[in-house]
Amino acid sequence: MNWTPASALLMLPMAALVAPTLAHARINIGTEEAQQRLFPGQKFTPSPVFLTEVQRDKMRELSSVREPFKSERVWRSANGGWFIIDEVLGKHEMVKYALAILPNGSIKGIEVMEYVESYGYEVADDAWRQQFVGKTIDAPLKLKQDIQNLSGATLSCKHLTDGVKRLMVMYELALKNAK
Amino acid sequence: MLSRPLRLAALLAPLLSLSWLPANAGEGTFGWVYTLDLQPKGTLEFEQRLQVNQGQARGHYDLWQARTELEYGVSEDFQVAGYLNTSRVSANQNYGDGSTSGWLVPSSAGSSPYSRTRLDGVSLEGIWRFTNPVIDPVGVGFYLEATTGAVKDELESRLLLQSNFLDDRLVVAANLQLSAEKVKFNAPDIGKESMADLLLGVSYRVANNWTAGMEYRFHNDFEGYAFNKQTQRAHFIGPNMHYATKDWWVTAAWRYQLKGQSQCWAPGEAECSNGRVWDSHSRNEVMFKFGRPL
Repeated sequence: MNWTPASALLMLPMAALVAPTLAHARINIGTEEAQQRLFPGQKFTPSPVFLTEVQRDKMRELSSVREPFKSERVWRSANGGWFIIDEVLGKHEMVKYALAILPNGSIKGIEVMEYVESYGYEVADDAWRQQFVGKTIDAPLKLKQDIQNLSGATLSCKHLTDGVKRLMVMYELALKNAK
Repeated sequence: MLSRPLRLAALLAPLLSLSWLPANAGEGTFGWVYTLDLQPKGTLEFEQRLQVNQGQARGHYDLWQARTELEYGVSEDFQVAGYLNTSRVSANQNYGDGSTSGWLVPSSAGSSPYSRTRLDGVSLEGIWRFTNPVIDPVGVGFYLEATTGAVKDELESRLLLQSNFLDDRLVVAANLQLSAEKVKFNAPDIGKESMADLLLGVSYRVANNWTAGMEYRFHNDFEGYAFNKQTQRAHFIGPNMHYATKDWWVTAAWRYQLKGQSQCWAPGEAECSNGRVWDSHSRNEVMFKFGRPL
């Protein structure tokens, strides 16, 4: 048999033979559900934020997150808190999460909204998310410093931690003094 | 002699026998370069590899090598794996002197057509990760694999290096590979050989689920277990593509032996012609990998 690219393609059915798999877990939580988990009973008002290039550069510099932030994903709760949705890189897909900030600037909680990976679903467990509660912009918010890693989810833990840091920087720069 | 479909089925039998398993594994982003992406602690993955080497000096030479693997994460930074190795070789007057030769072709083949499908043997490997490239500037690890069987006994070691950039979208990896092997397929003649290779790879996440990259191999073969006398030197380069979801992943890679960059010394000139080296090597080498977390 002479080698041709087409002959290599003959092996692709091999993958098809074994492709059917057991469905693994996935996390998929809507915006309203995440809002009620983080601020139970509160009402929310969409509050898109305008970010200057200088502010975006600062967010990137202090968090190292390069993914663009979608500035329409910001809500204000009736009690003066903030609810923000963001996305960071997961192993294969984007990890969507929400951050709740109290009126005093401390983290009320985070919620993992979409997670579709082979491993690392423990990032959605209370035990890991609780590490963020109460932290402010003054906290390092750095994996393996004030946030502990999870075996098998290092990349997701790192990016989620960096993502929260980015949103806290944004709060400090653009939301803290908003009317 | 088995028909071609039956020969293919025999080669893939280990894969088919395990296809009922619900699968997950340390994901193989590259075709040949190893990374420090290990199995999480307590998890198991099934992986099937198929490498196809085709084209030597003349005539025809097809070498199909399949490896069916189970990987297990012992701890956060240590994984073990076991392989079942099978092969299919088909050759006819593939060396420049008109002989039928090369890897898995016994010298008794002379200049006649030769083909054989067989169970090569089994391998066990361990990978230790000392620093993690997701957190540390440079990830460092060590790989050790022992193989035994009808074809060869081999001890292979690799120093694994990896750095991630651009939010871990860009992965740069290097392997320094040293191995010693007792070649047995040409019994009663036994070959004592060693190898020193440098593998380099770069891979970029072009979209969610997709990465694409390039791989390079600087290959050096030696007589004797202790790199006593160099017999071959060759360079290979080619692209790779990887697709992964939470339930399975697949990698395809191709590497091409650069012409005019290769050299042969002992044992014979026929192993080197047209500016390339042969033996287990060919002009084109293709790798398919498929993995499923269990």
